[in-house]
Amino acid sequence: MKIKAVFLTRFFFISMCLILIMNICVVYGSVDINLWDTGRIVFGAITGKFPSDIPERFIPIVLGVRLPRVLMSGLVGASLSISGAAMQGLLKNPLADGTTIGVSSGASLGAVIAIAFSAKSTLVSGLGTFLMSILFSFASICLILFLAKIIDFTLSTNTVILIGVIYSMFASSITSLITTLADKEIKNIVFWSMGSIAGSTYEEVVLMTVILIICSFVLMRNGVELNAFAIGEENAMHVGVDVRRVKLRIMALVSILIGVSVSISGTIGFVGLVIPHITRIFTGPNHKKLLPISMAIGAGFLMLADMFCRTMFSPIELPIGIITSFIGSILFVFIMIRKNSNKFRG
Amino acid sequence: MKKLRIIAIIFLLSIWSMAGCSNKENVSDNIQTQEQESNKITDMAGNEINLKKTPEKMVVLLPSDVEILYELGADKSIIGVGEYCNYPKEALNKKIIATGDDLNVEQIISLNPDVVVIGEMAQSTDQMKQLKDAGILVAVTNSQNIADTYKAIKLLGQISGKEKEADDLIANMKDSFQELEKKSKGNFEKTIYFEVSPLEFGLWTAGKDTFMQELADMLKVKNIFEDLPGWAEISEEQVLERNPDFIVTTTMSNKDSSPVDEILARNNWENIEAISKKQVFKGDSDMMTRPGPRLVDAAKELYKFIYGE
Amino acid sequence: MNSNKKSPSILEINGLTVKMAGFTLVDQVTFNIREREKFIIVGPNGAGKSTIIKAISQSIPYSGEILYKGEDVAKMQKNQIARNIGVLAQHHSVNYSFTVEEIVELGRFSYRKDKLMIKEEKEIIQEALEMTGMIEKRKQSVLTLSGGEIQRTFLAQLFAQNPNILILDEPTNYLDIQYQEQMFRVIEEWITSKNKAVLAVVHDLSLASYFGSEFLLMNQGKAVSRGRKEEVMIPEQLNLVYEMNVGSWLHYLYKHWEKYL
Repeated sequence: MKIKAVFLTRFFFISMCLILIMNICVVYGSVDINLWDTGRIVFGAITGKFPSDIPERFIPIVLGVRLPRVLMSGLVGASLSISGAAMQGLLKNPLADGTTIGVSSGASLGAVIAIAFSAKSTLVSGLGTFLMSILFSFASICLILFLAKIIDFTLSTNTVILIGVIYSMFASSITSLITTLADKEIKNIVFWSMGSIAGSTYEEVVLMTVILIICSFVLMRNGVELNAFAIGEENAMHVGVDVRRVKLRIMALVSILIGVSVSISGTIGFVGLVIPHITRIFTGPNHKKLLPISMAIGAGFLMLADMFCRTMFSPIELPIGIITSFIGSILFVFIMIRKNSNKFRG
Repeated sequence: MKKLRIIAIIFLLSIWSMAGCSNKENVSDNIQTQEQESNKITDMAGNEINLKKTPEKMVVLLPSDVEILYELGADKSIIGVGEYCNYPKEALNKKIIATGDDLNVEQIISLNPDVVVIGEMAQSTDQMKQLKDAGILVAVTNSQNIADTYKAIKLLGQISGKEKEADDLIANMKDSFQELEKKSKGNFEKTIYFEVSPLEFGLWTAGKDTFMQELADMLKVKNIFEDLPGWAEISEEQVLERNPDFIVTTTMSNKDSSPVDEILARNNWENIEAISKKQVFKGDSDMMTRPGPRLVDAAKELYKFIYGE
Repeated sequence: MNSNKKSPSILEINGLTVKMAGFTLVDQVTFNIREREKFIIVGPNGAGKSTIIKAISQSIPYSGEILYKGEDVAKMQKNQIARNIGVLAQHHSVNYSFTVEEIVELGRFSYRKDKLMIKEEKEIIQEALEMTGMIEKRKQSVLTLSGGEIQRTFLAQLFAQNPNILILDEPTNYLDIQYQEQMFRVIEEWITSKNKAVLAVVHDLSLASYFGSEFLLMNQGKAVSRGRKEEVMIPEQLNLVYEMNVGSWLHYLYKHWEKYL
């Protein structure tokens, strides 16, 4: 009973933090709308009546542009973080992440193919950017792990990362090839690949929410299995984990999450790598706690990062990938220094 | 842990290099072209070009310069063009040369041209030096605005021996622009928004110091993002807030709908003046961004869109 | 072999053959292990000892039969295998700072659908930690442990897993002399008190002959001899396999072999 009470307080606390961050992110935007007006607009959306002294154009800005975008950045942040955490556990590899092991590049390749050939092939346009990203990210994970296994049976950290980096370059080169050869209408992909959550709609938010809830639920149900993998695949097998099936399941879930995120927002680097590391400082490596808390911290982080993108040089927007890579790389170095100095102390 | 650290460093380096790769060297300010009596010509980077005779073999890398030379009737002497030169269509029959960071210096040298015309912003000083070291005459153009464009036309006229044609073309363009400006009845009350990249990929627009800005000024409408330098990614809510009367998109359609239909159908945009009055126009990106003779066509199209004549 | 008749056989290996990349690593090996037996596989490097263990734990393809109490292990469910056959790997490297307790708890993975009371589960883990002497370090991160302590942590996990046969691959690799003996004593106590059996690959011939009750001597993938200490761990047999006079020096030569083998 006591455990449940502690759990509930924590859950409540984290939810309050997220709601607070969300509120901040909705209030601060490129266009100045004060707290009082924003509050009344959101309240008006619930009651269906908007106060008459608020300029009419503010209503779609808050409700149509800002709110879905804030929600979407939270969802993408949560997806990338939980996939990063799951992958770092599955591969027993603290450097694993969609971007480092090349899955994101694979997903972008899928999205680019979908965009580039949507006019020419009905099959591809039918599959859409969404499914193509998911398909390619899953194929990428499989290919990378297959190659890694051929080269080094133990799937050691460095081999996986090395192959991931090489695969990433390979996928990017094909992406560039397609963008170069295709008509110049594809030049827009360049902007998109830098990452942007702009233009999110409620339909996308709902879809993303459903996918995230299902995938994260199944991932969390596999928390103990992930603990076993994080200790070692051989050990996982010895304690009775159905290694092959669980691995396939987790890889499929992670590729769905990364594929959908990439198709919506382009490649957003470092979130999936850094957030689980930060979370482990508070929770330890146990995935039962690590996965949900990573999700919450990732959501908050990306909402705030997107807010900076929108407001820092307003009306200019920064590509969100720049902010996340900038903050992420600094944090990562900081974490590594801290980790190493701990080691020396004892 | 040591290996981990090395990997992290490789990471940071790769990101840093990604960020750095788009830098272009910006050389000196362009110096006024001077009228030259003999065959001494000064290009737009201020370098003197010693042309012994009217060149028979020219390699031209910038699409705008190709368009100008075709307009001057000097196309016969062009033997190679840069990869993006797609107008007029005949230009595609010339030898096509990779430009930008991947400039194919070897290919240019092997064509043995009398002169190479290149854009200052597109090529680095190292590449220019390589060409010069190989004994090839290099002429540099650099047009940031319409006034620069006249200079480029003049320079290309001098080089190709079509000086009279160049003067005529410049006079023609000036006349057309003046006429349009005179005809334009607006007084900067109406506003216009140029969309370069669609919402799906993040909105990009043209701010001041662009040809689109100059065209808007000429037609006496106000660019809603004239406070921004050059090209910029902007917030969707800013477009809603600034509420333009006209929208010009230069993006291409990549879905089933045309870019105009896509903009008209956007969620939350329905209250924008341009949308409710259906004043959205698909402009030709090449025409509106290349410093060449087709700027006149772009201006005429825009005039027609704004004033409906 | 008259002692074998007393207890039923737990693990039966019939004609086990493992081939990999054109090499035959294990060639037609047959043996069985009965309750309360301490079955030791000895032999020089490359004899195929660890390969047998990998085959039993189903991590590599093999031909021949591996039967657990008459049931084909290859057809058993993963958690059924784990409940009955427990494997202690030769080498453990942990990357994340799991606590000792968290690792030991994983030993209960194959039982989690049984819905045992939390109290019962805690007692099992407590006992496993006590037996291996890791009880005081239960909350400590494994990243701060020594090699021997890590090995004991995973042994505690194995005790918590409570299989009927323990399979140990060079379990004393990281241990000092005094701990080697101690570890075997803990294992011996555990299997005799619970009617279990152990199969171990042991490098150190003196330790092997001190601890084991049944022996299998292997060389180049083949079983050379099989039986009790008096039948296997004798100079005539060992000298043949190790190609040097080891039998009479059994207690001294371990350190020398490290250099030569």
